[in-house]
This record gives sequence, structure tokens and C-alpha cells, in this order.
Amino acid sequence: MSRPEKRSKVNLFRPKKGHMRDEVLIILAILFGWVVCTFGFQLLVYACRGTGAGSLLTRLTLFNLPLHFWFTGQFLPLWFIFLCIIFNVYVDRITEYHSRKRDRSYE
Amino acid sequence: MNDSSWSIFVVLLVLLSFILVGLRQKARESQEYGFGGRFTGRIGGGAAIASNWMSAASLMGLAGIIYLHGYQGLAYVIGWTGGYVLLLVLLASQIRRFGKFTTPEFVGERYGSRPARLIAAVISIAISVIYCVAQFKGIGLIFSFMFGLGYEQGVTYGALAVVSYLVISGALGVPRNQQLQYLVICVAFIVPLMWLARRLGYFWVLPQFGYGRALTDLWREFRIDFTLPFADDSLFQWCALCFTLMVGTGGLPHVLSRFYTVPNVRDARWSVVWGLFFIALVYWSAPAFAVFGRLIEARRGMIPSPEAARAAADVVTLNTAVAAGLPGWLVGVLAAGALSAAFFTVAGLLMTGAASISHDIYYSFLNPRASERARMQVAKGGTLVLAALVLIIALDPPGLIAEITAVAFALAGNTIFPLFLLGIWWDRANRYGAIAGMLTGVLCTVAQPVFGGTFPAVAALFPVTSSALCGTPLVILVMIAVSLATPPPPEEMRSFLEQEVHGHMD
Repeated sequence: MSRPEKRSKVNLFRPKKGHMRDEVLIILAILFGWVVCTFGFQLLVYACRGTGAGSLLTRLTLFNLPLHFWFTGQFLPLWFIFLCIIFNVYVDRITEYHSRKRDRSYE
Repeated sequence: MNDSSWSIFVVLLVLLSFILVGLRQKARESQEYGFGGRFTGRIGGGAAIASNWMSAASLMGLAGIIYLHGYQGLAYVIGWTGGYVLLLVLLASQIRRFGKFTTPEFVGERYGSRPARLIAAVISIAISVIYCVAQFKGIGLIFSFMFGLGYEQGVTYGALAVVSYLVISGALGVPRNQQLQYLVICVAFIVPLMWLARRLGYFWVLPQFGYGRALTDLWREFRIDFTLPFADDSLFQWCALCFTLMVGTGGLPHVLSRFYTVPNVRDARWSVVWGLFFIALVYWSAPAFAVFGRLIEARRGMIPSPEAARAAADVVTLNTAVAAGLPGWLVGVLAAGALSAAFFTVAGLLMTGAASISHDIYYSFLNPRASERARMQVAKGGTLVLAALVLIIALDPPGLIAEITAVAFALAGNTIFPLFLLGIWWDRANRYGAIAGMLTGVLCTVAQPVFGGTFPAVAALFPVTSSALCGTPLVILVMIAVSLATPPPPEEMRSFLEQEVHGHMD
């Protein structure tokens, strides 16, 4: 923005540079993984009903569970844990990076 | 001893031991450190999150709804775990940096408005009351199961028991050992399940995976398909329910405050991961109870009518354990786990609800000059009034445990979640937007029962258990529109958000 501002605005879709921008990027990435696997998969199951792909989803089994039931009932909670771990590792890393950067600027 | 006296014995033993352990811990801590409460690391923090979360809905309602609806019921499993992702990435660290411990306090501070704070307090109390109704139903069912009483008697005695427990542990000043609570609740749920799987001849070491064969047998022997997707309801209903439970998690009064009990933001974030893992352990197990319950019924030649199945759904875990011939003490363990979960949830919610009546409504709004003692009395009276209100509603419960709980989540998702989301991530959101948003959220939550008869489209878009899929986006739009049409919030608050909440690293 060319207009000088004394204070940048807080907006999820227009994060300010630095830590907040990095944080918002990982938030949006995690939310993408969350939406696609939760709702995207249900949409897929629904759209494939009665087709070859649909019967593949319901006839293939894992741990004796039909694939779609296993994915929703067992894999998704695990996927959520995985997403949270990724988020935490990444945020730990950017926090360290930015705090090191900040400390140097005070030297 | 017969089965029911075993159950009563084990339940009494478990509840009493929580008080004794709490008292011992209190004595030791005041000796060693001179103050109560301690930090037990990220895993301990996670166990506390999970123990806070475990309620009759997780231990009884979840298996019941899956027993009834099969694949459709999995929306509850996903909704109640996936919500933590939202909470962690969007709100946890920011709310902690904001530094307000309860929803009304956050709303009062962020939006700088006493009416907004009052409305938020009333909504939080309403959420607690609805949530408690579901717990009371669970407690009533366990009491009638243990003592062979009718439901009304069971729920009345159960209410008396939970209030007495609250008074006794309050009078003795027993601290809650949430790590121990989680351990007891989790073991009391999973060990009977392992026993059940072994008895039925399935893989019992990890019954969470072992029930797959039971599912196959159910189909092969009786042609009951438990896994058929979208059999009773539509894709929209599945997604609406799942989304509602997820956003509701982000707005529940007793969940948010957990982030303040760990010393720093990093530990708070990591304890969410452990908490989610501990919660998932129970949620991976609940469908197994439902499947074993159906299988045992079918093998005995009982295919219940839809009404009978609905009536039995909330006690399917206990009924299945009895029908499979589990020893009496183990049935007692199962009942004790569910009862403790319901007890602690009720205790926590009634106390926060009463504190909110005393602090946010009485002290902040009605009588700012009230003495400490008067406020304490209002809080104590408030606990009893709330308990009585919950009991009256629970005497004729409006639905299944999981369904009643879902309404509380819908209200939280429609009102409090947008308030936090925009309050943290958009500095332009102001008090007028907040008030308009909360009122719209309440309207969305009650849309089906109130306007559904006149406008069928409203009933279809805002089903009472799952109104947030359409409700939350609508509330967010209303908040944005009203905020933009009215003057911006004070400069100090906007700078605080920019510098403290989002600029701590600049």
C-alpha cells in the first residue's frame, strides 16, 4: 500500500508482514486440510453412490471396516491429531525464527 | 452381591476416592508449596482438557446415536474431535494473549460494551443449562439402571446426589485432580469394552479395530448394514451436524478457559494435541459398543422397533454389558465411569454458570456496590437455582443425550464462536455488530422450533441440532455489515489487537 499508515489493520485475509503473515499462512493451510478431508470426503462418498468408484469405497475394507466407514470413524480423528501436530511444529519454528530476528534488531 | 448392588458399591467407591485423593493432594500441596494447583506438563494438561470434555454425551450418548443411526452418527465423532483443530489454529493462542478468562469478560473487554457482556453472559448460562440437561438425563438413566427406579425418580435422586457432591466437595475445598479423573473415566470405558470383545470372540486387545469383524458378521448373518452412508438423512444434514459440533467446540464456555491453566502459550498448544489424542481414544471405542449392542440383540432374535430402539439408545453401553453377561463389578465400573464424567461436567458447568450470574449479571450490572459476601451468596443460590431449572427440563427430556448436547453446541457456534473469531481476527468489529450478531445467532438456533411450522424452508436450513452450518456464516455477515455501518471501535482496542494479540513477535 502506498498510503502511509500509522497502524496496520488486523484482518485474517490481509495479515501484516512478519510473524502474523507466516502464522496466517499455516492457519489457512491447516484449515484447507481440515475442510477437504472432512467435508470433501463426504461429498465424494455422496457423489460416487451407485457408481463403480462408490462401490470401491464401500466394498474395499480396512481392519474389516468398509473404506468409507474406516476413513470417517477412525482415520479422521487421527488426521485431526496429525494436523494439530503439524501446526504446532510449524508455529514453534516460526516463533523461534521471529524471536531470533527480533533480538538481533535490538543489538 | 447381585449385579446392581455391585454397581452401587463401585460407583460409591469411585466417587468417594476422588474426594479422598483430592483431600490428600490438598494437604500435601499446602505443606510442600503453600498453594494449591500444579502444572503437570503437556501430557497432564492434555489429560485435563480431555477430562473436562468427557461427559455423559461422550460415554453414553455417542454410542447411543451410532447404535441408532450407524454411519450418520459418526458426524458426532468427527464434529467433537475436528472442533479442536479450529480451536487450536484460530483461537487458542490469540485468546490467551488477549488475557480474558471467560466469554463474558472477553466480550465486555473486546467490544467495550456492558449490554454485549450481559447478553454474552446470559447466552453462556443458557449453553451451560442445555448442556447440563443432557448430563442430568445420563445421570437419571444410570440411577434408574442401578436402583431399578423409574426415570423421573432416577433423575430426581441423581440431581440430589450431584448437588450434595458439589456441596460436600465445595465445603471441604477438594481440588479436582483431572489427570486421575481422565484415567478413571478412560479405563472404565475401555476395559469393559475389551472384556465384551473377548466374550464375543473378537480381537480384544484393540477392540477399536476388532469390531470390524462384528460389523461384517452383522451384515452376513442378519443383513443389517450399519455402514450405509446417508441412509436416514441427507448429505446436507450430515455436514450441517458435523460443522455445528465443530464450531460449537470453539464457543463452549468450559473449553476455552482450559488454555489458561498451563503456564505458556506453547505448552497450551501442545496440550491440545494430547487432549485431542485422549479424547480420540474414547471416540474410537464408542462405535464398538454400538455395533456389539446391535449384534447381541440380533443374535437373541430381538430386532427392536424404531421407537423401542430410540428409547434404549442412551443406555446401550450398559444394556450391552449386561446382555453379554459381563460380571457385575465390571458393569459397575462402566456405570461409575459414565457417572463420574457426568458428575464432574455438571459440577464444572453449574459452578461457572453461577459465578457468571454473580459476577457478570449481579455485580457488573445490577449491583456494582455488592459486597464480597453478597456476591458469594448469589453464586451459591445461583448454583441451586440452575440445578433446579436443569432438573425441571430433564424430567421430560426433549431428545437423546447427544441431540440435547448438540443444541448447546449449536447455540455456542451461532453466537460465541463468531464473536471470538471476528473479535480476534478483525479489528473493525464493534459492539453494535457483536450485539446484532448474538441476537441473530439466538434466532438461528431457535429457528426450527419457533418458525419451522410457518416457514418449512427455515426448518430445513436450520435444523435444531445442526443450525450452525447456515447460522454461523449468516451471523458473521450480519456482524460485518452492522460493524461497517456503525462507528469503528476505540483506537486503543485496535492497537491492542495489533500490537499485543498479533504483534507480540514484531
